[in-house]
Amino acid sequence: MLITDDSAPFQEAYRQLLAGTDQPDWLRSQRQAGMERFTDLGFPTRRQEAWRFTDLEQLTAQPRLPSLDGAPPLPADLLEPWRLAGKTHRLVLVNGRFDPALSAIGTLPDGVWLAPLAETVLRRPDVAAMAFGADGNAFAFLNAALFTDGAVLVLAPGTVLELPVEVIHYSAGDTQVSAHPRLRVMLGDGARATLVETAAGDGNGWTNAVIDVTLGADAALTHVHVQGEGADAAHTSLLTAELGRRARYRTFAFITGASLSRRDMQVTLSGPGAVFTLHGAYLLDGGQEATLAVRADHKVCDCRTEEVVKGVLQGAAHGVFLGTVAVRPGADGTDARQLNRNLLLSPSARVDTKPELEIFADDVKCSHGATVGSLDEAALFYLQARGIDPVTARSMLVAAFAAEVIDAAGLEGEVEVLLRRHLARWLGGEGGLG
Amino acid sequence: MVNILEVRGLRARITGGREVLKGIDLTVAPGEVHAIMGPNGAGKSTLSSVLAGKPGYEVTAGSVLYKDVDLLSMPPDERAREGVFLAFQYPVEIPGVNNTYFLRAALNAGRRQRGQPELDAQQFLKAVKEKLKLLDIGDDLLRRAVNVGFSGGEKKRNEIFQMAMLEPNLALLDETDSGLDIDALRTVSDGVNRLRDPGRAIVMVTHYQRLLDYVVPDHVHVLADGRIVASGDKYFAAELERTGYAHLCDAA
Ligand SMILES: Nc1ncnc2c1ncn2[C@@H]1O[C@H](COP(=O)(O)OP(=O)(O)OP(=O)(O)O)[C@@H](O)[C@H]1O
Ligand SMILES: [Mg+2]
Repeated sequence: MLITDDSAPFQEAYRQLLAGTDQPDWLRSQRQAGMERFTDLGFPTRRQEAWRFTDLEQLTAQPRLPSLDGAPPLPADLLEPWRLAGKTHRLVLVNGRFDPALSAIGTLPDGVWLAPLAETVLRRPDVAAMAFGADGNAFAFLNAALFTDGAVLVLAPGTVLELPVEVIHYSAGDTQVSAHPRLRVMLGDGARATLVETAAGDGNGWTNAVIDVTLGADAALTHVHVQGEGADAAHTSLLTAELGRRARYRTFAFITGASLSRRDMQVTLSGPGAVFTLHGAYLLDGGQEATLAVRADHKVCDCRTEEVVKGVLQGAAHGVFLGTVAVRPGADGTDARQLNRNLLLSPSARVDTKPELEIFADDVKCSHGATVGSLDEAALFYLQARGIDPVTARSMLVAAFAAEVIDAAGLEGEVEVLLRRHLARWLGGEGGLG
Repeated sequence: MVNILEVRGLRARITGGREVLKGIDLTVAPGEVHAIMGPNGAGKSTLSSVLAGKPGYEVTAGSVLYKDVDLLSMPPDERAREGVFLAFQYPVEIPGVNNTYFLRAALNAGRRQRGQPELDAQQFLKAVKEKLKLLDIGDDLLRRAVNVGFSGGEKKRNEIFQMAMLEPNLALLDETDSGLDIDALRTVSDGVNRLRDPGRAIVMVTHYQRLLDYVVPDHVHVLADGRIVASGDKYFAAELERTGYAHLCDAA
């Protein structure tokens, strides 16, 4: 086997993980398959169209290897800012491993499976096997080879999970490690759940997550993703979602962390009447770069996609929005809207935005738009003319711009409160305008 | 008692552009109401913009004293907190910023500057209710974003409502009467009259005698081509209505 430079640094850790004793053979084959595919592909490069705007240099120049021993115990209040208020089912991973002390999965209703992936492998191998798909990108294959743990949420048909599920991945320590958590979510027909998937941390590690969602007919998932990793951290994640007939997948991506981050979302609408809504915000400062690359694949008729993503960029930050809506032959009655709006707050901030349509069906309603602008000078003066200082005035306008997308998402309860809190913190914090 | 406003030989141009104010002299004593009239494009809004500190203009000569302090050296937000209020000819729409939230921030910014305690939400709402009633404004306007989707008249009323809340020492009203229906003109004028006080002053730019029937000025000036070319008492406005500005402009 030809070993590329890209996979070489990971080989040693991979071999150790492969030799791990408490894993079944099928899991070893998954690791092997993942490593083989990653070795073939290597890290993406800027020569690939989909990766043209993303600067992976810092990730590939100095590989961050998985930490093979557990992280030191963390004080519980470290998670405080990231947690939902009220009752939840909480599963916490630290540097890629389940942390029982910080987790509180609680009592689950009948028809619900929520457990760490490693535990699921041992107790329900049939369920765990579904956490590994054949598809993915290079990062997802590397994840399959190197994962240490993750989370699995399964709802039987017709099950409604009232309390939100929190899956928090925390990356701790400044030892340049990587973690490769895997999250698998399967909702049976008519099942409903709310999931908050948070990636946070204080270190300079690299989180490389894989999230795989399957929604049965009439199932509904609200999925909030919060990415607030440390300022020197790196984050990559690939989310794939498959939506059955009339399934509703509503997701929110709130991205403020890491110096390099990229989230790929590949959503397949494969049952008629399925609905995918994405609301999102990337709020970046300093030398941060974040890419949100979303592909909505309309395979059948009468499905709907709605995407509203906003960017606020300060300092020398770089935001990238790549949005593709593909409408396959026969996917008539498709209704798809994409909107990406960006606010540049400094002359050296940058945005690349590419909403695109690939339409191979008739009778479709598709629109897309992108804007890049700066703060409205007339509004700034109006606020100041009423006595509001310029820093507060700017902050009010930025808050209004970003809050609009939270309003539009129409989330309820503590989940909405959480996003508003994160926004307020960003606005008032070091990443913000204060 | 010191004058509220003393403008001396003020010249200003649009940054990088032409000169619009070509030597303005204007003295406003406490308790006075001044009306500024004049042809379109004469520089009336530019004068109020420069006094309020709007970016985009360059003062090239002259001085402005506000209560004996150099006004031009203050940033616009400080001028406002010190009691200078500009009612905009074209109030700005600010999507996403709630009107009540905005007004409370503005009010408390001024109170902090004066060393007064901030108003809490309840005290603030009480003050708001009073003034809303006086100005005949529905409280739904307050729940909306600043000026967004307000009708022309609603925007003007909102400006006067803000003025009533902020209680400035110097109010500059730029065509606040334009676009108001007859009843609204009455309520807005009442609002302005209520601010009249021996300690405050009002400078209003208008094209119409009707406002001056309600808010009777102490002095009336004609601003033409960047200069004040004529001044008179309250009867002067009525005379202008008959004679027009042409003969004054020629004289200048
Ligand atoms: N920011 C600007 N850029 C370019 N020109 C400007 C600007 N501001 C003012 N002017 C010009 O300066 C002149 C004076 O404008 P100003 O708005 O002060 O007139 P005005 O007396 O208020 O007129 P009106 O009665 O029509 O409101 C006009 O010719 C106007 O076009
Ligand atoms: Mg004007």
